Amino acid sequence: MRTTVDPVRVDVQGLSKSFGSVRAVHDLSFTVEPGQVTGFLGPNGAGKTTTLRMALGLITPDAGSTTFDGVPYADLPSPLRRVGAVLETAFHPARTGRNHLRVYCRAAGLPIERADQVLDQVGLTAAAGRKAGNYSLGMRQRLGLATALLGDPDVLVLDEPANGLDPEGIQWLRGFLRHLAHDQGRTVLVSSHLLTEVEQTADRVVIVGAGRLVRQGSMAELRAGAGAGTVLVRSPEAPRLAEVLRGAGATVLSAEGQELTVGGSTTDDVGRHAFAAGVELHELRSNTSGLEEIYFRLTAGQEQYAAGSPAGGPGPDPAVAGAHAAQGGQS
Amino acid sequence: MIGALVRSEWTKLLTTRVWIGLLLGACAFGGGFAALFTGLAGGEGVPALGTPDYEQTVLAVAANGTVFALILGIIGVTQEYRHRTATPTFLSSPHRWRVVVAKLLAYVAAAVPFALVACAVTAVVALVYSSARGTALTFDQDNLVVLARAGLAIVIYVVIGIGLGALLRNQVGAIVGALVFLYVVEPLLGSIPATQGLYKWLPGGALSAMTSDFQAPDVLGPWQGAAILVAYGLVAAALATLLTVRRDVV
Repeated sequence: MRTTVDPVRVDVQGLSKSFGSVRAVHDLSFTVEPGQVTGFLGPNGAGKTTTLRMALGLITPDAGSTTFDGVPYADLPSPLRRVGAVLETAFHPARTGRNHLRVYCRAAGLPIERADQVLDQVGLTAAAGRKAGNYSLGMRQRLGLATALLGDPDVLVLDEPANGLDPEGIQWLRGFLRHLAHDQGRTVLVSSHLLTEVEQTADRVVIVGAGRLVRQGSMAELRAGAGAGTVLVRSPEAPRLAEVLRGAGATVLSAEGQELTVGGSTTDDVGRHAFAAGVELHELRSNTSGLEEIYFRLTAGQEQYAAGSPAGGPGPDPAVAGAHAAQGGQS
Repeated sequence: MIGALVRSEWTKLLTTRVWIGLLLGACAFGGGFAALFTGLAGGEGVPALGTPDYEQTVLAVAANGTVFALILGIIGVTQEYRHRTATPTFLSSPHRWRVVVAKLLAYVAAAVPFALVACAVTAVVALVYSSARGTALTFDQDNLVVLARAGLAIVIYVVIGIGLGALLRNQVGAIVGALVFLYVVEPLLGSIPATQGLYKWLPGGALSAMTSDFQAPDVLGPWQGAAILVAYGLVAAALATLLTVRRDVV
């Protein structure tokens, strides 16, 4: 495997796709930069898989284009050497893992030894001679990743790669993706319906809902916008503490019983002001759930199987559910 | 480019066991019918051992391998959809017509040894059994030509299988449909007076033209039959490339 790669920028421009009367993706544009892990987030049925498949020429978009350093996938002279993709666990169940990889070595004109090299890279060497149909879900994901790595590509596109991996495997995958992007300068785009899955890995996120772009930016920007950095404090004298903190220039965002959520301050400052005012504290911590909350807020009502909203809020979007069905359950 | 894809198709073919079962089937049909025909030779309505009728017909039964070659070709394409390997296949070759061409080339090349084995088994069974019954089968030029035509038919049917598989994409549907057509629809069309004239233009009729000069009187010449079969395969493959192969792989 090379230690340096060509930096390749992925440009998604105005992608749209309808399946029948159902709009799966609508005028979606975003960019993916080299040397970073970009998380591609959205609820199930938001159009993530359709978007990735359009980018790779498997689905013809109704409008828009995707380019890799300015070149559409179909025009890449040697696509597997430029872009590696893990889209689903697709293999013939009676073929061994090694032979599965050799098929695509042949197709891409790669040396046949690459099969064993990538098996080693993903930790599947011991299972190389076993039929892929007998692999566990986690092993299938690793085989998919090995297939993507065959051509030693500059760009890696992974659709829900953590599905079926055990916690150890997920930990390994995170480190591996960071290594590929940060240390080797590859472009890594990884989709997930869970923010927590990419939170520790991604440098940037692209969030989609109902086939449209909801937000794209760095994790830092998202955190700032998420109200992460608020402080949770619990005190038997909550009302008095709230007054003290307001007096010190902080914003009390909410007060429920003994618990206050404080913005524009830090745990250090809140603690100091409370101590100075002689207010008893039972709990003081920084709010880490803010990111998750903004993700839910951004994608609210776009869940495929969202619970009905008795308050008349946004329910499940039938268009999105339909799009998911039209994709044969693949999202 | 195409060469790499052809090698990829050979690797696919040889790393599962489908071909073994189908080759065994082709040998069993060829050898089995040769044995049956030799055993019945000289009986009522069956030509006697040593006659040109017997010798050419017993070698022509190798053409029974065509149905297995057809299935080999169908599976060669439809397994890509059945096991969803169409995704990595089209990722490695985004210009999908190249995949269709590579499959045609790879399977024609693979069908040559397939046909040789099926023909050899048929000939050996007929030779051994006819010798045991006292009049050994001879391999004069006419007989060898019949055997070669049966082998060629096997190779051509793999092309039809690829074309049909690419056109229909559904493995079970394509195989069942092909078998029903060959063994039910076509014989019916051939037996109904109003459609009898059509029979010689159909795949079964064209196969008869290639392999049996005696059984079906109203058929085309052997080379016309071969040309029609090749045309069926290539037209199906071309239609598939234009219509179904380019469809979204979701």
